[in-house]
Amino acid sequence: MDERVKTDMGATAAALDYDAELMLRVRDGDGASFGVLLDKHRLSVIHFLYRMVQNHAVAEELAQEVFLRVYRSRSTYEPTAKFTTWLFRIATHLALNALRDGKHEKSQERLDDASGDLPVRQVSDKRPTVEASMVYESRLEEVRKAVATLPEKQRAAVLMHKYQDMEYSQIARVLNCSESAVKSLLFRAYESLRARLAHMA
Amino acid sequence: MDCPLETHEGSALLLAYSSGRLERESTVPLERHLETCPGCRQFVESQSSVWRALDSWEAPPVSADFDRRLYQRIEQQVSWWDMLLRPFRPVFHSRSLPIAAAAGVLIMAGVLLDRPAVVPITPPQQSAQVEALQPDQVEHAVDEVEMLDQFNHLMRSEPAEPAAKM
Repeated sequence: MDERVKTDMGATAAALDYDAELMLRVRDGDGASFGVLLDKHRLSVIHFLYRMVQNHAVAEELAQEVFLRVYRSRSTYEPTAKFTTWLFRIATHLALNALRDGKHEKSQERLDDASGDLPVRQVSDKRPTVEASMVYESRLEEVRKAVATLPEKQRAAVLMHKYQDMEYSQIARVLNCSESAVKSLLFRAYESLRARLAHMA
Repeated sequence: MDCPLETHEGSALLLAYSSGRLERESTVPLERHLETCPGCRQFVESQSSVWRALDSWEAPPVSADFDRRLYQRIEQQVSWWDMLLRPFRPVFHSRSLPIAAAAGVLIMAGVLLDRPAVVPITPPQQSAQVEALQPDQVEHAVDEVEMLDQFNHLMRSEPAEPAAKM
């Protein structure tokens, strides 16, 4: 019964998912469709990875690997789930590996040194004074540190929930766990974030 | 309505409400509950603050050469990978690949089972005995040969003596 439901869900996802259709075209040798997918998801993947590892260069390197793996897997691709579920599963896997391999150490250094490898912010348009800019930077630093202190899976769940607008069921499929486990992960993660960031109202 | 803070499901409801993602039909009863529950109001206020704080965290712009680097890597991969796989491409594209693979495995298994069993070669025992001979045994053997030689010599010379006597 469950298997049949899963299969039905996969088939529906494939039918409704335009990205999956594009990926099938890539499988059939249409390189232009890969370009469309890259255009559509480049930003979200890089931003997700950046917020996971908190290092711009490492995030881009990992994003390259994500799209390279997508391209490499084109011949065996089967649309059994939403394309973005598959994409973020690859991205999350690579990010968690990078964090475990210690690539994130750079990001910890960067947290202590706000200059880091981030492009210089254009403060003139949004923040007119140096003081306001400094306040903004210090608040931002607080947010980054609060997210960085979350356990890896909680961090991934929060980032997908907050910035990718993903539903619990999709996050569950990306993290390969149950929907109730995702709810619990998010509940604990937001609890920690409330304790650290609620004063920033 | 029961207080949502008491269950995980209810907390999920409050999280959705704080992020503006709750459906209309669930929003109305929740808002009615919020009017009377200070605990839930506190939760929603602090969660909304977290949401706004996270909103302020913008990611840096993507490097201008991101795509160029990616396509360069793809091209490198494709060139050697293509060269390697080109002869097998028709086979990979075919739906009969699993059948062909299964047939191959069966043929291999048949060939392996059909081969005569290999009997391990054991060294001849004689050579082991030769290797086991000690120097004093050889000396004894030589002595015995010499004694036999002397005995033969004696036996050959003995019948000549009566003839000489005669």
